[in-house]
Amino acid sequence: MFTIRIWNYLRGYAIIIVKGLKIERFINLAVVNNIYIWDIKKLDYVTVKAKINLGNFRRLRDIVRKTDSSVSVLSKHGLPFIIRNVKRRKLFYTILLSLFIFIYIMSSFVWMIEIKGVKSVDTEKIVKCLNAEGLKEGSFKGKLDRRHIENQVLINMPELSWIGIQIKGTKAIVEVVEKKEKPPLISRDDACDIVAAKDGVITKLLVLSGDPLVKDGTTVRKGQRLVTGTILRENLEPRQVHSLAQVIARTWYEDAEEIPFQQIEYKPTGNISRQYRLKLLNKEFSGKRRVSFKDFNENIKERDLISFGDYVFPVKLIEHRFEELVPELKTLMINEAKERCLERLDARIKLMLPEGAVILNRNTNYYLNKKSVKATISVEVLEDIGVKQKIQ
Amino acid sequence: MGKRGYWLKEKLCSTFELPKDIVLDVSKVVIIGAGQITVENHKGLIEYSEELIRINTGSGIMKLCGRNLTIKNIIQEEIAITGVITNIEF
Repeated sequence: MFTIRIWNYLRGYAIIIVKGLKIERFINLAVVNNIYIWDIKKLDYVTVKAKINLGNFRRLRDIVRKTDSSVSVLSKHGLPFIIRNVKRRKLFYTILLSLFIFIYIMSSFVWMIEIKGVKSVDTEKIVKCLNAEGLKEGSFKGKLDRRHIENQVLINMPELSWIGIQIKGTKAIVEVVEKKEKPPLISRDDACDIVAAKDGVITKLLVLSGDPLVKDGTTVRKGQRLVTGTILRENLEPRQVHSLAQVIARTWYEDAEEIPFQQIEYKPTGNISRQYRLKLLNKEFSGKRRVSFKDFNENIKERDLISFGDYVFPVKLIEHRFEELVPELKTLMINEAKERCLERLDARIKLMLPEGAVILNRNTNYYLNKKSVKATISVEVLEDIGVKQKIQ
Repeated sequence: MGKRGYWLKEKLCSTFELPKDIVLDVSKVVIIGAGQITVENHKGLIEYSEELIRINTGSGIMKLCGRNLTIKNIIQEEIAITGVITNIEF
């Protein structure tokens, strides 16, 4: 029965409504005449809904006459009707089909390179390196030899220790691992001294190898030798060693900042204008740039227009958002000005302090005059100032 | 076919274990659960409505009662009916 159903679907069938008093006779006659009808359902006393093969539909005419009934077609189903529908809307389906083919073809290219795991290496450089090896936006996925590219990039970029290229949809996800740290400039077999990296007062000198030249409490200048690798002993030949020492010293950092009481502040007025650019591959379609504001803030956002998860296509909408600003003259109170000074100094001094430095003291001084507040900050820290220097 | 002929055929069937529905021209009714019934070897539909179907068979008129009865298939040798069947009578 199932195969017959499929056959009927392929040939096309119609749902018909038969009206008449002799429904049973109608069905029997259809059966006797080898007209296959199925899914017969009574709707009411004189009406029946049934399905019939298209080819057999005309043969019903005799039976209709004999049984005094009437037949009307409710709807038509099956493959022939689908095909006819497609034929009738040829243009629409051609466009639909070509769109699918287009998307399929487009999705076999790489349209986006995502680089993960970068810490200090320049991303641009990695991208350039990848481009040189053939992985760029718009390269065909099938032709990429990932192993080869990975190896080449590793050879060309010694600062990377590992690279993995993964292709997901139209994205190429490049994961890199950078080499942890630079190898020491002076190998442990070479003799070296230890010199001061900056001015300071030695508070603790821990010498592991080599001879100390200074004591705790000595004030040292930048470049002064602190530990020597040349060891001189009585009755012995001079010997040279690789000095190792921890030189903890007190050092100072200073900074100054001046803030005038009269300040021009820019405040957003709430007026916002937007401009859009369309970016297709590397081509940009944009109107003339025009901003009606005198002072403004500009924000640029990029959005992928067509993207399905990992399938990203190179159509981008770039939005420029202009926010109007209005300059406002503001007179600061003394306290406000002081606070601002301190804020800025704090931020700046934080950048100056080396990693691992211990802050001992911090001093802030304010000097007032008619127009401005001037602040100076000095921070006293403990840090290791020893730097190795090879003995010539 | 006289009564004698029928008796002879039936005897023949039981001795040689032949399928009765073929030899005797009676119908074979297959009921699957209470939802589907297939009648092979029928001799035409007599009455059809959603609650009642009467089918002519070799061994008399078969009366089927139920709800939502639809004729899934009907061909010369076979008629398949689905729906909730409550009653079968000969």
